[in-house]
Amino acid sequence: MGLPETISGRVWKLGDHVNTDILHPPNYFSLDEKRMKEGIGKGMERLSIDPNEGSSGHGLLIMAGENFGCGSSRETSVRGLRASGIKGIVAASFARIFFRSLINLGIPSCESREIQKWVRDGDWIHLSMKEGWIELSNGRRFPFSPLDPHIKNILEAGGLIPYLRRERDGI
Amino acid sequence: MSQGYTGEIIQHHADGRKEGEYLSVNVDFVLLPDPTLALLLSELKALGGQIWNKEKILVTVDHFAPPSTVERANIVKEVISFAMDNEIPYCSIYQGICHQLLVEGPWLKPGMLVLGADSHTTMAGALGCLATGMGSTDILYTLVTGKTWLRPPETVQIDLKGKLPLYIMGKDIILELLGRFGEGGFLYQALEFYDNDGVIPMDDRFAVCNMVVEGGAKNGLFRPDKVTRKYLNDRDGHRRSHLGSFGNGNPQYTQRIGIDLSSLNPKVALPHSPAHVMDVGEVKGEVIQQVFIGSCTGGRLRDLESAARLLRKRKIAPGMRLLVTPASQKIYQRSIEKGYIQTILEAGGVILNPSCGPCGGIDKGILGAEERCLSTSNRNFQGRMGDPSSKVFLASSLTAAASALTGKITDPREVL
Repeated sequence: MGLPETISGRVWKLGDHVNTDILHPPNYFSLDEKRMKEGIGKGMERLSIDPNEGSSGHGLLIMAGENFGCGSSRETSVRGLRASGIKGIVAASFARIFFRSLINLGIPSCESREIQKWVRDGDWIHLSMKEGWIELSNGRRFPFSPLDPHIKNILEAGGLIPYLRRERDGI
Repeated sequence: MSQGYTGEIIQHHADGRKEGEYLSVNVDFVLLPDPTLALLLSELKALGGQIWNKEKILVTVDHFAPPSTVERANIVKEVISFAMDNEIPYCSIYQGICHQLLVEGPWLKPGMLVLGADSHTTMAGALGCLATGMGSTDILYTLVTGKTWLRPPETVQIDLKGKLPLYIMGKDIILELLGRFGEGGFLYQALEFYDNDGVIPMDDRFAVCNMVVEGGAKNGLFRPDKVTRKYLNDRDGHRRSHLGSFGNGNPQYTQRIGIDLSSLNPKVALPHSPAHVMDVGEVKGEVIQQVFIGSCTGGRLRDLESAARLLRKRKIAPGMRLLVTPASQKIYQRSIEKGYIQTILEAGGVILNPSCGPCGGIDKGILGAEERCLSTSNRNFQGRMGDPSSKVFLASSLTAAASALTGKITDPREVL
């Protein structure tokens, strides 16, 4: 558990206002993680992203535009991303429920607008949540604003449930 | 001085703990619909299964109501067993859509802090609550602790001025706002509506607050007024409802927006975004095969009354399918008493049982390839209501009924 020093991986590049219904079509709602993951596959197909599972031995990251994850609160979309091997997310901005759910499930997520135009689908990037930068494969670094201490505490615990356990043990 | 009523409510519920910009707050009530509750049950059990206060939760079986697949039947079974085994006092099975049941019941009053495991929980803000939706893990935290962590949002004051024309509904007001500011135009913000002349009925306020989330808002609330008081009096069966002590401060806003109700035209949101909004005049004539009047946004008594007014002594267009879902059993019964259901049936409409149904692509009324539907629901995202090539237009129940009669998108003023 805890935040890794850096997260490296290949990028799925998504546009603006990618909502949870297209990311994870509603009929893939399930308590079965395998089915949740299939929903993300269907979403990527509809978004014309090649999930390129062949290379998934390496990490995967998402680079999304504005208002990422708008719409439904169904956490199956985020659990599906986790099951698909998504290690981190950078977006220009997040929809609030979706952002909370990513952090709650321990998926490092941060906001950066500047980097958007420099990254294409399939590129390789490195993300340091601790130091607050994203690095392109050519070595160029983009800083992002420091994580809120509360968000950091949850991510360092490994998600909201381990955070709750710690909190409970502490009291 | 606080950021709006929202800031005041957060301060009032804060327990003194702070991490970064987030405050730990006490929660007054939690809404737990079947699918998202099912997602947290195994973790709840692993944490010991203790709920902080059973009197402060409402469990509903409304999404998979009744279930149409074996997996959903098992989810419903698990949710009902959970409620029975734990002796949850408020558990509602197939009685209506969770958001509607939440405001029909005796629990909420202005100034409360309310969470729900569903994004449209914002709807309860119409009663002057701070109400917002969260994912299952957040809700699990609240079930165990009675608390959540909130970042006080910026607040936007929205002044609604002028008379409400007969052909304008709450749906048109929120679509106007979404069209002007876009999907995500209010990210992380709280919207606070001032109906200065008290002209907007509570059913319409519910529709407005329901859809603030489509603009990215954390919550939306109406400043409590005489309309709120009347609703609470009628709901609770007495005339003593008070609007709470909150709202006496001096709320500050980061932005102020005005909407002149009297000059609004009926609105339509085009596929595939609730913020892709035009006046009905600009899209009229678009051919549709299905009209859906229902959901937590558009299935209330005023929606059915409005639809029945246009459908009376008329027939829907040849080939048209008109599906009507009252948002709750209570609304269903009132609609029978008032004759709305009879009118809708005579016009050729079909009544489905109160539940989420086609809105979330769950069951009955799902769209086939290339089909087009006009819906009074809240989201028209690609593939939400069926085949990814289908198209959904969002509008008020007046525009929906008018369009069911002609088979194409129609301005209700042409039929009224």
